[in-house]
Amino acid sequence: MPDTIYTIVNAHSTCYHCGENCEEGSLVFDDKPFCCSGCKTVYELLGENNLNCYYDLNERPGTSQKNNYDSAKFNWLDDTESVKKLIQFNDGKVAVATFFVPTVHCSSCIYLLENIYKIQPAISKSQVNFLRKEVRITFRTDEISLRKVVELMVKLGYEPQLNLVDLEKAKTTISTQKYYLKIGVAFFCFGNIMLLSFPEYLGLNSLSEHPMHKFFGYANFLLALPVLFYSAREFFVSAFAALRQRSLNMDIPIVLGMIAMFIRSSVDIFFQQGAGYMDTLASLTLLMLVGRLFQNKTYATLSFERDYKSYFPVSVSVRQNGIEQTIPLSKLAVGNKIIVRNQELIPADAILLKGQAMIDYSFVTGESNPVPKEIGEKVYAGGRQIGSAIEMEIMKDVSHSYLTQLWNDDVFKNKEEASSAELANKMSRYFTPIVILIAIAAGVYWFPTDIHRAMNAFTAVLIITCPCALALSTPFTLGNVIRILGRHGIYLKNTFVIEKLTKIKTIIFDKTGTITNKRDLNVNYKGAALSDMELVYIASLTYHSSHPLSKKIFNYLNGIKIIQTKDFLEIHGKGIEGWIDDHHIKVGSVDFAGGTDMVDDSTASTVHINIDELYKGYYEVKNEYRAGLNELMNGLKKDYELYILSGDNDNEKQYLQELIAPDHLLFNQQPIDKLTFIKEMQNAHHQVMMIGDGLNDAGALMQSDVGIVISDDTNNFSPACDGIIDARKFERIQSLMQYSKTAMRIIKASYTISLLYNLIGIYFAVQGTMSPLVAAVLMPISSVTIISFSSLVSYLFGRRYDFQ
Amino acid sequence: MSVLFILIAASLAIALLFLLAFIWSVKSGQYEDDYTPSVRILFDETGKSKPVNKTKSI
Amino acid sequence: MIVEQFKYDNRWVRNFAFASFIWGFVGMLVGLIIALQLIFPQLNFVEWTTFGRLRPLHTNAVIFAFVGNGLFMGIYYSLQRLLKTRMWSDKLSAIHFWGWQLIIVSAAITLPLGITAGKEYAELEWPIDIAITLIWVVFGINMFATILVRRERHLYVAIWFYIATWITVAMLHIVNSLEIPVTLFKSYSLYAGVQDALVQWWYGHNAVAFFLTTPYLGMMYYFLPKAAGRPVYSYRLSIIHFWALIFLYIWAGPHHLLYTALPDWAQSLGTVFSIMLIAPSWGGMINGLLTLRGAWDKVREDPILKFMVVAVTAYGMATFEGPMLSIKSVNAISHYTDWTIAHVHIGALGWNGFLTFGVLYWLIPRLYKTNLFSIKLANTHFWLGTLGILFYAVPLYWAGFTQSFMWKQFTPEGILKYPNFLETVNAIKPMYMLRAVGGLLYLTGTTVGIYNLFKTAAQGTFQAEEDAEAPALEKEYTPHSNEGWHRVIERRPVQFLIASLIMVAIGGAVELIPTFLIESNVPSIASVKPYTPLELQGRDIYIREGCYNCHSQMIRPFRSETERYGEYSKAGEFVYDHPFQFGSKRTGPDLQREGGKYPDTWHYNHMLEPSSMSPGSIMPSYPHIIDHDLDLSSMEAKIRAMQTLGVPYPKGYAQQARADVDKQATQIQDNLAKGGVKVSKNKEIIALIAYLQRLGTDIKGAPKAAAVK
Repeated sequence: MPDTIYTIVNAHSTCYHCGENCEEGSLVFDDKPFCCSGCKTVYELLGENNLNCYYDLNERPGTSQKNNYDSAKFNWLDDTESVKKLIQFNDGKVAVATFFVPTVHCSSCIYLLENIYKIQPAISKSQVNFLRKEVRITFRTDEISLRKVVELMVKLGYEPQLNLVDLEKAKTTISTQKYYLKIGVAFFCFGNIMLLSFPEYLGLNSLSEHPMHKFFGYANFLLALPVLFYSAREFFVSAFAALRQRSLNMDIPIVLGMIAMFIRSSVDIFFQQGAGYMDTLASLTLLMLVGRLFQNKTYATLSFERDYKSYFPVSVSVRQNGIEQTIPLSKLAVGNKIIVRNQELIPADAILLKGQAMIDYSFVTGESNPVPKEIGEKVYAGGRQIGSAIEMEIMKDVSHSYLTQLWNDDVFKNKEEASSAELANKMSRYFTPIVILIAIAAGVYWFPTDIHRAMNAFTAVLIITCPCALALSTPFTLGNVIRILGRHGIYLKNTFVIEKLTKIKTIIFDKTGTITNKRDLNVNYKGAALSDMELVYIASLTYHSSHPLSKKIFNYLNGIKIIQTKDFLEIHGKGIEGWIDDHHIKVGSVDFAGGTDMVDDSTASTVHINIDELYKGYYEVKNEYRAGLNELMNGLKKDYELYILSGDNDNEKQYLQELIAPDHLLFNQQPIDKLTFIKEMQNAHHQVMMIGDGLNDAGALMQSDVGIVISDDTNNFSPACDGIIDARKFERIQSLMQYSKTAMRIIKASYTISLLYNLIGIYFAVQGTMSPLVAAVLMPISSVTIISFSSLVSYLFGRRYDFQ
Repeated sequence: MSVLFILIAASLAIALLFLLAFIWSVKSGQYEDDYTPSVRILFDETGKSKPVNKTKSI
Repeated sequence: MIVEQFKYDNRWVRNFAFASFIWGFVGMLVGLIIALQLIFPQLNFVEWTTFGRLRPLHTNAVIFAFVGNGLFMGIYYSLQRLLKTRMWSDKLSAIHFWGWQLIIVSAAITLPLGITAGKEYAELEWPIDIAITLIWVVFGINMFATILVRRERHLYVAIWFYIATWITVAMLHIVNSLEIPVTLFKSYSLYAGVQDALVQWWYGHNAVAFFLTTPYLGMMYYFLPKAAGRPVYSYRLSIIHFWALIFLYIWAGPHHLLYTALPDWAQSLGTVFSIMLIAPSWGGMINGLLTLRGAWDKVREDPILKFMVVAVTAYGMATFEGPMLSIKSVNAISHYTDWTIAHVHIGALGWNGFLTFGVLYWLIPRLYKTNLFSIKLANTHFWLGTLGILFYAVPLYWAGFTQSFMWKQFTPEGILKYPNFLETVNAIKPMYMLRAVGGLLYLTGTTVGIYNLFKTAAQGTFQAEEDAEAPALEKEYTPHSNEGWHRVIERRPVQFLIASLIMVAIGGAVELIPTFLIESNVPSIASVKPYTPLELQGRDIYIREGCYNCHSQMIRPFRSETERYGEYSKAGEFVYDHPFQFGSKRTGPDLQREGGKYPDTWHYNHMLEPSSMSPGSIMPSYPHIIDHDLDLSSMEAKIRAMQTLGVPYPKGYAQQARADVDKQATQIQDNLAKGGVKVSKNKEIIALIAYLQRLGTDIKGAPKAAAVK
């Protein structure tokens, strides 16, 4: 591109509202430039309501209003049943609804959304949760409808994402609240028990007759009760559950130790034999709770549980007897005639009856170039209509449509997940019996000489071997790993995914959207050279079109000045045209642009240019393979079996063969085929990881042992999976695999350390003379050692794999 | 050192009071959002109209 | 649920603000005066302005008048805005303001008059203590009621700090101020000796924590983000650090009594908790400083942010130093020296002072709808203040080290290198001079600041009522899970709070105190006997003159101390000391074993003119003690009060006491006469000599003073 054009760029103004480039001669209001009338309207609206502060807090905080929404899009919000589902609370006068608003991004957004009542007095309160990108709105139902609330938000540039699944889902806040409470109680008790135990450590022993001694003991006993019966409850629950299933998990020896500590301490306190181990009990419970909290890292705005319902509309417009009405999706039946508007999803397989269909299947296949459809053609569910409204007749139920029938597979039914740390439980299988044996042996050894000492030895072994340090190494290592990965655009559902990753032998890739790139462009121009001004014309024209190819070309010409276009026209399925500076510009298909014989590369889309009735040439827009794909494939090849399953035809076989063996390449794979393929692999005892992106991979992602989704925009929905990787971090998959393996090695190493501590402890314990101070020092030290070791080493290895 | 009884009793009572306050605050959802409140406090006096900043014209 | 229009009440914010800097000026001025008195003893002028009486005035003025009004200003301003509501009651605001000023005025009158309870930072006598309690309750009602009628559901972290301040200070003040009134202006602490010391420092330390720290942290969390225009670095950290601070702070008190007669484990307890405290304290500091990350260019421009940055840094330094000073080996060096004074002033001048001024510079223009009169003057104030802090602290650190090492230095022969205490005082006089320069700089800065703020106020118009609007607090619409008893607490936090506090107070006071305290006052050392009535009178004069401000009565078990002063102090020696007089600073030597060291005439001459006995002494002269007649009017009441507190005077001894006074006074009069001093036996000096000669003699073996039969 010629350099001269950039000089013009700098003179550009950006929209005062949204910061997008303004067209030359665009709107100026209040001495401020606006890119479109939408942005200007918002500015005026805020000004009228004294909300100008919106622009003071941050510069250009708005979202572009260029794509005017179609009001009919929210027709379904008039349907009372749908509304009922969206509203959390309604007493007939006041209603509360919580919306997920992905465009929330800065303090201005919080400011505006929380002051929305100044614009619409029927809204009595709105509260933003910035991290969750949620807005909770309270409004008076007799003055305003939910639809009006949503439309106001859309008008301001804060379109909520509405789907029933997210709303029906129970909030996770309750469980984290419980953790905070448990930790708070444990911390309070721990602090005060420590305080009251200090005299013991520091020599109140000499004053053991002193009333204070007893007082401290009883107070400690009282303070330990909430720790044992409230804070530590879940360990008991888990241990008993395991016992009922006749298996051994890590919580069993922990609970044994806790019970031993509590009973032994109570006896000590009430019979004045010593101070007991309540301090140790409290500190360990506290540490383990913190560990669990640390392990349960969640991403507030990501969901790993979505199925197709998240993508599909809540209700649809149906034409019955010539009248259009909105019905809930669940009531949609075969034979219904539905109306699908611009940007709406087709909910079920249907036949096109009326209108110009241009279907974008990017949700399903990852392929973003829309496909034109003729009347009478079959259109599959999951496609998105682009352009004017179309009318169609439903052929299949929603759940039996081409795409959605995937969810009828059994794999979606047994959602029960074995989400437990296998390594730890395996340990426990040996650990628990050995500990009990040692304890009994110590007891038996002392029994003939000194019954009291025998009891002491028995309980002391159980106390000192309470494998808290052991239990802490997994949450702290994996919790830390998951955080480090999260900072680098790799979001895992939970820590167990890491453990599963280490067992993977086979990796299966989807092609379109997964190993190819939707965002980055491979655009080439072929034909007669274009002058600088001609490039400006093309950019100015494509600027007005929302067609993906237009957008790609506009982005490709990025940074060029835009000038005003007159008589812009978009001809469905053909192209766009318009007048600029008295030149007639046409951009579109070969026929439209009047191109002649062309060597068409079948893998690429072409966009042809005609200026002043003169054919110029064409842009070739190719799917680009993701950066680093070669290196990634070559790297993974050494340790894993790789497959590529593509829904497309085999015209890229040539290239892909260079990456992996031809018999590992499968084309024309239907979603159900992918699922079956993985099932077969698993039946042959392969641990399979599936890497995909779209809904068409949903079955495969679910069936695989680890399903990973590549996503260009993590704010967008992605199908149910175990992890989401930001597409820009695609090439880091190998580091992810290596890092996971290292993490498990770190855990094993910390097991060794903590077992060493246990050995030291047992040395004291079997003699039956272990003092509470030894336990109070040794056990927290071992826990803290493990926590620091696992956190530090996992951090260092993170750096080694370039996760800094 | 029997005065320690009083000090410990008083301190424990206060600590208990704070514990209850903590339980209340968690239960009532005070900490459900641990970011937005810090931004929200910056707004309170800017709600009134202020002269809008002049930006350069095109 | 319609948007509600209301008005913020700025009147009391403004009044507290003005009160803060005017009293601040007074407090700092008194500080400068007492700093100069340490160099020029002549500056002690008359009895009401002697160092021992002015120093409590200085500390009380700075803590309760300057910082107290400052924190009320901060709370009254931020609370309304954080909760989107006006203060609950204008009337209570007014009572709070005027009540507090009245307390300050009464303190400013009583302290120079020598009306004092004799416990550091809690010197005010019992009627004022009660007034403080009442006003504190008024403040509490006003604050909690405001919280109750709030329009914003979330309680911002600053408010938690304010709540913690209120609850804890209420408890500390009540527990520490329990005393038995003798007359309107005299009371005896309920606790004695080591117990009293423990309560006092438990109070003293926590007063630092909950009067000087938590409310200011709350203010930092409000005003620093406001001034910087950006949210606090990590709100989550602020919540965690709040709860951690709350659960830990209360136990650090005993670190003020390291190496004293306090049991070993209690000392270590204080040490451990003090060291743990560094984590939450630095959490706050780091959070404050990181709030300004990326805005340091702003800090360079804006004097408000400059003040705040130095304040937060000073907080960090002081909270690092605090745990360090709690380590026994460090404390062995620092205790009783000017190091402590330097440490305290980093906190007071840096953290409290600078944060107050930062907030004032931010606030006053807003209250008066104008701009700051002069940024240049504000910068001048900033630099004067910063230099002032440096000139104040650095010489005092030096003085602290110097003096401590001189105290501990032995010659190769094993005798003290500086046996004369005065040598160690003379060595640090130049540092005292520099410290006064620092104080002068700081005070000059304050004066510039006050001028600037007055000018700002004059050029603007005060907005007593500030319009505001906010939607009413909606009902909690989310359906709650099954809840039991705590639902009640949730609905009635204030009632619950008050009820709990009352329970604590009653439970503690009624049940525990009489049973344990009096019982445990039975001496564990048989030879320790109650003071004679004359000695008791002398002790009250000792307390009245604030001698504890410069003289300790607590010899630590170091050879350097036992060599210099005598046998180290035992807990059992203090069982009749209501209040304790351990002291915390040795500007002069320890007096625990003073009894019998010098003849009576020495004391007489020394009190008349210290430099006549110790050339170069910086102690004020006390001619008024020699002039004044001893006031025996309340003596019977005193004896009876002591008996109530468990001091084993024989039954009905109050009637017999006068005769004993006369007997002992005559004896001292005779002694003095033998030494050539002619003085009437009913002068105060007689009682004081009686007390001084009794000090520490109980276990000395030489029974100098006659014990009660």
